[in-house]
Amino acid sequence: MASSIFKVGQACRLLFKSKATQAPNLWKIVTLSERQIQTSSKWMGVTQLLMPSLSPTMEEGNIIAWHKKEGDKINPGDVLCDIQTDKAVVSMDTEEEGILAKILIPDNAKEIKVGVLIGLVVDEGDDWQNVEIPADAPSSSSPEKTSSQSSSASTQPDSVSSTTTPQKSNFMGPSVKKLLEEYGVKAAEVPHTGPHGALVKSDVITYVESKKIPRVQFDVTAPSVDTASSISSQPVVSELPALDDEPYIDIPHTSMRKTIAKRLTESKASVPHSYASINCRVSSVNQLRKRLVEQGVKVSMNDFIIKAVGLALQRVPRLNSTWKDGSAHISQTVDISVAVATDNGLITPIVKHAASLEVDEISSTVKELAGRARLGKLQLHEFQGGSFSISNLGMFGIKEFTAVINPPQTAIMAVGTSRIIIGPDGSPTPEMTVTLSYDSRVVDEIDASEFLEMFASIIESPEMMVQKSLSQARGFF
Amino acid sequence: MLSVFARNLRTLGCRGIYQSYHINNYATSTEASFETQPYKLHKLDEGPSTNVTVTRDDALTYYRQMQMIRRMETVAGNLYKSKIIRGFCHLYSGQEAICVGMEASINKKDAVITAYRAHGWTYIRGVSLVGVLAELTGKQSGCAQGKGGSMHMYNENFYGGNGIVGAQVPLGAGIAFALKYQKTDNICITLYGDGAANQGQLFEAYNMAKLWNLPCIFVCENNGYAMGTSLDRSSASTQYFSRGDYVPGVQVDGMDVLAVKECTRFCKDFVLKNGPILIEASTYRYSGHSMSDPGTSYRTREEVQEVRERRDPISKFKERIISANLATPEEIKKIDVEVRKEVDEATEVAKTDRELPLEELYNKIYSNPEPDYQVRGCDPTIMAASH
Repeated sequence: MASSIFKVGQACRLLFKSKATQAPNLWKIVTLSERQIQTSSKWMGVTQLLMPSLSPTMEEGNIIAWHKKEGDKINPGDVLCDIQTDKAVVSMDTEEEGILAKILIPDNAKEIKVGVLIGLVVDEGDDWQNVEIPADAPSSSSPEKTSSQSSSASTQPDSVSSTTTPQKSNFMGPSVKKLLEEYGVKAAEVPHTGPHGALVKSDVITYVESKKIPRVQFDVTAPSVDTASSISSQPVVSELPALDDEPYIDIPHTSMRKTIAKRLTESKASVPHSYASINCRVSSVNQLRKRLVEQGVKVSMNDFIIKAVGLALQRVPRLNSTWKDGSAHISQTVDISVAVATDNGLITPIVKHAASLEVDEISSTVKELAGRARLGKLQLHEFQGGSFSISNLGMFGIKEFTAVINPPQTAIMAVGTSRIIIGPDGSPTPEMTVTLSYDSRVVDEIDASEFLEMFASIIESPEMMVQKSLSQARGFF
Repeated sequence: MLSVFARNLRTLGCRGIYQSYHINNYATSTEASFETQPYKLHKLDEGPSTNVTVTRDDALTYYRQMQMIRRMETVAGNLYKSKIIRGFCHLYSGQEAICVGMEASINKKDAVITAYRAHGWTYIRGVSLVGVLAELTGKQSGCAQGKGGSMHMYNENFYGGNGIVGAQVPLGAGIAFALKYQKTDNICITLYGDGAANQGQLFEAYNMAKLWNLPCIFVCENNGYAMGTSLDRSSASTQYFSRGDYVPGVQVDGMDVLAVKECTRFCKDFVLKNGPILIEASTYRYSGHSMSDPGTSYRTREEVQEVRERRDPISKFKERIISANLATPEEIKKIDVEVRKEVDEATEVAKTDRELPLEELYNKIYSNPEPDYQVRGCDPTIMAASH
């Protein structure tokens, strides 16, 4: 393939040379081929393939890959190449019949303007290897061209361009100038395709890529480092090590992740969050829990917190509310959403009637819901709704944190770990920090303070939580 | 001679073309008969003849006309992809045998009205290549002076390209009514596609045409796909020739110019005596529905290529007339070269011609308007004289 391009390239140069020696013919030939470019149609058996506009808004496109090779026969309806338009990759097919004689723009060429000559087709039986390439077509790559042939290559296009495109504008943007400098290319060598004959960046890039011109190495004097002479002799350009693999991993977006992202963004963007924290001493509740565990009633700290929140909400009902359609609705029942981590993200199963449930009932409810949540078997009504949320990171040793409100709820309580502090009497005592995030449209600072104070007093006096069956049946208090 | 005959028969056999013919005792015949595919009939006792005779001159004319339309449409597609033609553009490539065959059986006083796949019909109804191509490029030598574009090309007794799907069908019935009312011996060919065939207004037009026995041939150019939907997905009955109910119908191979010609001849006779008839011409379009449809998302490339190889109206006809010694391959090649040259020259004009001056913008809206007649622009404050 490459060798055939080279051959054709050579043949073309030979053609050019022979024409240059016959000076009187040159004008005629040039004008004829100029005419041919304008008509983009058949002239002496050669049909030009132009970069097509394959979408109504396409201005330029990338040639992904040619399906035909030079010398291949083409029939009407054949796919010549795949072109990436501004919208999609579309096949370019042809209605022509003949031999694909020349591919002027190779695979993976980027930003080819609509109307640029990309290939030539000759009739079947014609000598496709010696097809004449129009003067201002982008020349295909031939590596040797730059050195020995450079004199003829540079003079020829000049003489041609002066006759074919007389008004080559000198206008070019600073980025184009920079590119020309970087590759040591003169503006006159590069075909101008921009508006009003201006030279644009893609012209230079296409030209440089097609000619495989290397970037000019500028002499960069390294900052003088006396001590490390070995280093200063090296070029200062330091490159990041090339990564074999992709430098990132895409995590597929699950529908649950999408919902989480949507709801949290909506919440944080539209709900005016305010925050308040309180420290609670939890020595009594720890003792009670231990006693219950000894009795065979396995309850966790979290179950007490849920119960305490339930009771506090009963006493400060303003926090047991939702915000819908521009107004607050106080819920009649205390249904607490409890954040449970699953492999796919957080989900909030609801402990319904939390205030009226016993702690051990809460415990078994939470265990059951959390188990099913991790299996992804919760039903819609078991995690949608609720009037208040609790997020507990205590088990991870988090001291304190703030949580994002779960709309339409108006508050969420973030629970930290219980840690040992020096108590008022000088003895070590466990303490826990809870942080309330609340919707300031519904809940004001006084409500929040009242709630937190109430919660703290309940959790610090756990006997308020276990009054009825539990205490009676087991003989506590 | 016999051996040539045998060889021809063998070629035909292996190409699977369904035909038989007799040849005269000359290397190049002046006339030949061909067998067409059988027609399907609806409420007709007798259909068109399956044996069609064609003279050498006529055959070459049909070939040239079809090739001219194919080449013109190829160029139109290329010009569109070069953004020289803008807006709407629906190509007729693949369906050439229909307009060429029908035109061969009607005269210039008969009327034709079609939808927006109109380039081929415009050409066959007498508009020059330049008239079509310059109309597409919006230049003043276009048949509507560049004001109409792809969908709005007209000529005498050719009531155009119509931009609204199916809307030309009631108009066609109206033209037939006029022809009858004026006591002419002419007919109106009213064409629509398999997509428009499901429109309610068609059935209203059938009704009135039958009620008043109008000399109208309704033609469903069934190319298999309505925009992006195959006919099986869109139509409860794909027997389009039978969907006129009380209007008799005939189905013809729309890829066979001679069958279309014979069918049209038969139908013209029929409608002048008995009122409307329906033709379903089974054909295929090679390009997408329009230029914004690559035409490959609802059908496979293999399907298109197979039709090109097996059913192409031009190459099939070429094989037939060469086999029947009506023409030599050299003559055909000569026509191909001439066609290319003519189309290229017309393309050159279509590209380089001038646009109509802006002053013409408001003219030719009504025929013979009052001398001081004014029309309003998009801006209601702008009034312009209209001649």
